[in-house]
Amino acid sequence: MAREILPVADERQVRAYARRLTLRYPRQLTVALVLHGLAAVAGLAVPWQLGALVQTVRDGGEVSVGLVVLGIGGFLLLQSVLIRYAVLASARLGEKVLAELREEFVDRVLGLPLSTVERAGAGDLITRTTRDVDSLSRTVRHAVPETLIAVVTFAITIGAIVLVSPLLMLPMLIAGPILWCATRWYLNRARDGYLRENAAYADMTEGLAETVDGARAIEALGLHRRREQRTDDDIRGSFGAERYTLRLRTIWFPAVELGYVLPVCATLFVGGLFYTNGWVSLAQVTAATLYAQQLIDPLDRFLMWIDELQVGGAALARLLGVANVPDDRAPSATRPTGELMEADDVRYAYREGRDVLHGVSLTVRPGERLAMVGPSGAGKSTLGRLLAGIHGPRTGAVSVGGVPLVDLPLDELRGHVALVTQEHHVFKGTLRDNLLIARPGADDTAVRAALDAVDSLDWVLGLPDGLDTVVGSGGLAVSPAQAQQLALARLVLADPHTLVLDEATSLIDPRVARHLERSLAAVLEGRTVIAIAHRLYTAHDADRVAVVEDGRISELGSHDELVAAGGSYAALWSSWHGAPTRPPHEPVR
Amino acid sequence: MRSLPQADPGVPDIRGPLRYLWWNARSQLPSLLAGIAFAIVWWLVQALVPAVLGKGIDAVTAKDTGALLTWSAIMLGLGLVQAGSGIMRHRMAVYNWLAAAYRTVQVTARQAARLGATLPKRLSTGEVVSVGNSDIAHIGTAMDILLRGTGAVVAIVTVTVILLSTSLPLGLMVLIGVPVMAVAVGPLLKPLHRRQNLQRDLTGDLSTRSADIVAGLRVLRGIGGEQVFAERYREESQRVRHAGVGVARVDSLLEGAQILLPGILIATVTGVGASFAVGGEITVGQLVAFYGYAVFLIGPMRTLTEAADKLTKGHVAARRVVRILSIEPEVSGGTGASKGGVLRDSYSGVTVRPGVLTAVAAATPEEAITIADRLGRYADGDVTFGEADLATLPIAEIRSRILVADNGARLFTGRLRDELDVRGGASDEQVRQALHTACAEDIVEALPEGLDAEVAEAGREFSGGQQQRLRLARALLFDPEVLVLVEPTSAVDAHSEARIADRLAKARAGRTTLICTTSPLVLDRTDHVIYVEDGRMVAEGAHRDLLVSSPRYAATVTRGED
Repeated sequence: MAREILPVADERQVRAYARRLTLRYPRQLTVALVLHGLAAVAGLAVPWQLGALVQTVRDGGEVSVGLVVLGIGGFLLLQSVLIRYAVLASARLGEKVLAELREEFVDRVLGLPLSTVERAGAGDLITRTTRDVDSLSRTVRHAVPETLIAVVTFAITIGAIVLVSPLLMLPMLIAGPILWCATRWYLNRARDGYLRENAAYADMTEGLAETVDGARAIEALGLHRRREQRTDDDIRGSFGAERYTLRLRTIWFPAVELGYVLPVCATLFVGGLFYTNGWVSLAQVTAATLYAQQLIDPLDRFLMWIDELQVGGAALARLLGVANVPDDRAPSATRPTGELMEADDVRYAYREGRDVLHGVSLTVRPGERLAMVGPSGAGKSTLGRLLAGIHGPRTGAVSVGGVPLVDLPLDELRGHVALVTQEHHVFKGTLRDNLLIARPGADDTAVRAALDAVDSLDWVLGLPDGLDTVVGSGGLAVSPAQAQQLALARLVLADPHTLVLDEATSLIDPRVARHLERSLAAVLEGRTVIAIAHRLYTAHDADRVAVVEDGRISELGSHDELVAAGGSYAALWSSWHGAPTRPPHEPVR
Repeated sequence: MRSLPQADPGVPDIRGPLRYLWWNARSQLPSLLAGIAFAIVWWLVQALVPAVLGKGIDAVTAKDTGALLTWSAIMLGLGLVQAGSGIMRHRMAVYNWLAAAYRTVQVTARQAARLGATLPKRLSTGEVVSVGNSDIAHIGTAMDILLRGTGAVVAIVTVTVILLSTSLPLGLMVLIGVPVMAVAVGPLLKPLHRRQNLQRDLTGDLSTRSADIVAGLRVLRGIGGEQVFAERYREESQRVRHAGVGVARVDSLLEGAQILLPGILIATVTGVGASFAVGGEITVGQLVAFYGYAVFLIGPMRTLTEAADKLTKGHVAARRVVRILSIEPEVSGGTGASKGGVLRDSYSGVTVRPGVLTAVAAATPEEAITIADRLGRYADGDVTFGEADLATLPIAEIRSRILVADNGARLFTGRLRDELDVRGGASDEQVRQALHTACAEDIVEALPEGLDAEVAEAGREFSGGQQQRLRLARALLFDPEVLVLVEPTSAVDAHSEARIADRLAKARAGRTTLICTTSPLVLDRTDHVIYVEDGRMVAEGAHRDLLVSSPRYAATVTRGED
């Protein structure tokens, strides 16, 4: 299961929100409830008629078959018409509320602070946007209306019994304690049980997906036995979880069924005794017994859906929780003067007490192209994120034009500096849509120019629909390399004065990447570019190279200076060229 | 209740979807029959309630307290039997559902593992994933509905017999009325399904959209565009809302019809019953019972409609499963043997000598992959391994002796140490060595639980470069006779790449290794380099010699710089 990184709303928040949501459309809610209530009343007329009929027959009165059929049929017709409109009305309301719920959630996601987005990864958030939204949909579409209908029908049926004969209400009460105790016992255990059951089931289906997806690796590494084992273990886990909830139901179901049947027996028996004593009429006994039987349906509905309500509540808590992420920046009123980017004695730790940057100071001149190289885990990407204003440093400061980056409002920050990482994403939509994200007002000329800058114009124009080609999930497949090119084109359109490129061309074929970087550089002339690179020619082409090792900048200078200095950069460079340190501009012999 | 899963799911009958379902049913016949028996009892008891209630009302009418007590007690007894058989039926239903679903998972997973490299060529991941997401559930449900469906048929027959024996016209009315009512809602089902499909499609699109937003959230928050996406989501969300109301429009009609249609039957049966009661042909209790029967029949009727739907879905699901189960692996092995030695692909001319660290530098990445696939016998080719033709060797033996490690090979969920040491039995020191060689120690160190950490699905918590280094460590621990590495350092920074290349040469000293790469940092540290263009060798020698002797090689590996 994905790690839970984002907060979850507490019960109070969920309740308050659910209340607000319920009362947001009081008129529609009233209409739906009244319709359901009337339908329930119409349904109750039939047993009452039957009771009267039994009485008449008993008393030897006249019975018109036609009238009986019309009477019973008429009320059932009325009930079916009312049900139709009641169901429609509550579905309308439910769909409306549901749409608002998910739209508000997506708004909240789109407003998540930058640092959270970077840290949280996709897992937790994806689970919330898909599984939790789905389970909430189920709750709002089915569980909420079903329980509401059940409550209304139940209340009205009870009312009918009281109306028929308050005395005959007494035998009903016998079911109360049984249902209450059994259901309480069940619900206390059910939620965790079903959560575990769902998780185990998901593990099993994910395991299957993994086996399918990794089929070639399974063959290559001879993992057949192991995957079989894993499948069987997953199934065993799922079966264990299923067995637990089944055990809960094995106790709960018979208990509630007993709770259903007892009132019917009791009403018949006690009612019979009352009738014998002349306290109630035959019509009353018949009607009350049939009502006792009719109570089973709403009770059953209510009890069956109540745990779904719990599941929906849990989903809602996770959806609302997204709003609980505190904002990561408190913008101040000061605005930068100039474009000078400075890091001053910067330290940063992802986990307390484990600094990954140990006092880095760096000044990037406007218009400069700076390359950062160094081994994995040395802190290059962290430094890049700090320079892009995504995280604030633990101590020290990263500023542009004299103002700390994290003191800038987000919109302002974006105008100054943008980060492109090796993670690439193509949105579902046309190619044009994908680019206009960065500058919604841009015309086709600007879009083409941006594509040209990343060597992608020919590819795009070569597509049958050109810029209108639909890409992303379900559309034209875009290779990771092309996706990176699009991300860079977006950046060209956004046009901030400082760009941080974190291995932004790593997925592009090296032979193509170099040409791309050069044409990009031509377009970005005058912009400040900080490029984190694992290919040495990027460093070679830059104005200055910073070698980051163990959270410090160990070497800093132009390519030639560093090669001449004979440090770790020089060693790499020589290895790259397969010759002892050689002046870079000498042609290959 | 026997524990699941069965150790051996058995050999599925894949001659057709019905045969597959039948095979499932046969495999769990005892529990299926037991479930059907419980379901029959459960329905029968419910069918008898109106009769007993009628007797009770008669006892009330007669003011016969003794009889009243008896019938009330019988009613309670029926209630208890209903509760007991109900829960047993439910338990058996769940068990049968699970047994069929689990068995399908087992045979599908085993088939996927058996197909191996053939699978991605013949099936989209989506197709097989839909087995996990919906098909196993449909197959399980098909078993489940057999229980209730059979019980429902028995219940309907029983009630009809009771009615017929009490009154021929009433019995006939029910006998004809029930199927008519069941069929009468038919015309509503088609538009309902159409609208439900539309709603499902739109809902699917909407969740794709939201997943898209989340996946691209970094971009959106990084350079803007939130407003556009919020708008788009809103539009699609409203479309889903209207589709939902569209479904409700038909669904609510169906709900109404399901009250009205049985209602007609109830009204008629009660009316006719009333006339009999007035005529003294039946008692008032029997009149109440008739009403009770008519109301009761709604349940089994609905179950039959449901059964038709579920069995259809189960059939469709079974067809998909059968299709997957029918695929055969593309390459097959022989029964020959090889003492090992030189591995040679005659088409390209690539020769991998034993104990040597060889590199293939190809002008395009695809050429290198094609050669690696032939050498590992993932594709047919004229390849010799020592004296023997590679095609004559058993596939399992080739896999255990020659490992082709490419970047598509995924990391599996599990404890990191187990996922690295897939053969098992490596010592801590060997694991440490492999991590060192792959420059992957920092990855393990960053994990709070170190080597005991659980790898999330597809190792997605690791970056591309980290995954690559872990895959390399895994390949090294596999320690095959011949190791073929395809672009093993493409996502690794230059510093680490140089280190890995150095350490790899030491780690594989004396073993046969082929690296497909164009990185000069790696090529510089190999014993022998083969340069390939258009799928064939055009030059070979040491990296530094080739740099001088072959300008095209130099251009390929140094990316035409300078």
